Amino acid sequence: MGANDAALRVKDAIEQLKTQNVKDRQLVDVLELSGVLTDAMGHFFTALDETIKDEFVDIASFIKKARNEIGDLRPKDIQNNRIPSAGEELEAIVADTEVATDKIMQTAEDVLALDPDTTEDFGMQIQDKMLVIIEACSFQDLTGQRVSKVVSTLKQIEDRISRFAEAMGIQETEVELTAEEQRRQDLLLNGPAIGGPETAQDDIDAMFAEHNTAGQDDIDALFSTDDDDKKKDKDEEVSQDDIDALFG
Amino acid sequence: MAVDLSMPVLVVDDYKTMVRIIRNLLKQLGFENVDDAADGQEALQKMRDAEQKFGLVISDWNMEPMTGYELLREVRADDGLKPTPFIMVTAESKTENVVAAKRAGVNNYIVKPFNAATLKSKIAAVIGDF
Repeated sequence: MGANDAALRVKDAIEQLKTQNVKDRQLVDVLELSGVLTDAMGHFFTALDETIKDEFVDIASFIKKARNEIGDLRPKDIQNNRIPSAGEELEAIVADTEVATDKIMQTAEDVLALDPDTTEDFGMQIQDKMLVIIEACSFQDLTGQRVSKVVSTLKQIEDRISRFAEAMGIQETEVELTAEEQRRQDLLLNGPAIGGPETAQDDIDAMFAEHNTAGQDDIDALFSTDDDDKKKDKDEEVSQDDIDALFG
Repeated sequence: MAVDLSMPVLVVDDYKTMVRIIRNLLKQLGFENVDDAADGQEALQKMRDAEQKFGLVISDWNMEPMTGYELLREVRADDGLKPTPFIMVTAESKTENVVAAKRAGVNNYIVKPFNAATLKSKIAAVIGDF
């Protein structure tokens, strides 16, 4: 029974009481007041019923849309096919690279071990071993193709997730670092930079050069916690120019 | 004074190929007594257990469970190991990494990829010409 129906039944009951010959004035007043109140509540419950109904319709519509979007995301395909396949490709890349590197390294070590004075056909042996090294370099062709497949998979997953996030109106919020992420941040585990070293060897050499005049205090100044420095973003990176200025 | 090429050198890297590369380069430079470890923890144990102190440590940064940076700090905090020359050889090339390593007491820093000439010049800068 809806809230509005309940209000109507209460109103009917009051009307029925009113038709009976009630003589107590106070009771008549109460019945009058109850009638007014029931009318008001009836309108309120009617509006409330409509609002709740609309809310449920919206929620049902959102759930349906989410279900469709999740279907388009094809999570089982990602979990059962895409990710395992990409993982296998990456494992194959590591294995192929390791085999090729080992072959190249072993052959180079064999060449270094050859003594030109005591080795017969020294020149011929060097040429044969160079050919082995050249052959081993063919691994790059295969690994290149495997990398392309992995990149393609990542792109597909990225597209699906982006589409899903957009359709669901997902707002990105700040998330706390996991313990592993915090450890990597604390121990400065950044990994190799894309496109070569971020700080060139020459710049590093300058920092370690005998003639450099920068002492520990100068380096400490870069990490100073003075009030002025506190205003700076703590994640701000120290630029090479700042370092160069200290060691110039 | 000439560098004693028979002194023990410790190469610390979790990537076997890199250990092999550095071992080969050290061999070409004349170092005969080279040992290796796969991470900071193993290296620290070897350094503490060694009968003859290592004359040089060449360490990667990014290793598990103990990184080269942690190893460096442990070495510098240990009175017995403190004077050991320490060269960081790593792909970690951010300025903050170099500065942090220098603050922790590293003697020199080489970014990967590197060549034989760079390794030789940095070793010479740390322990003297050979």
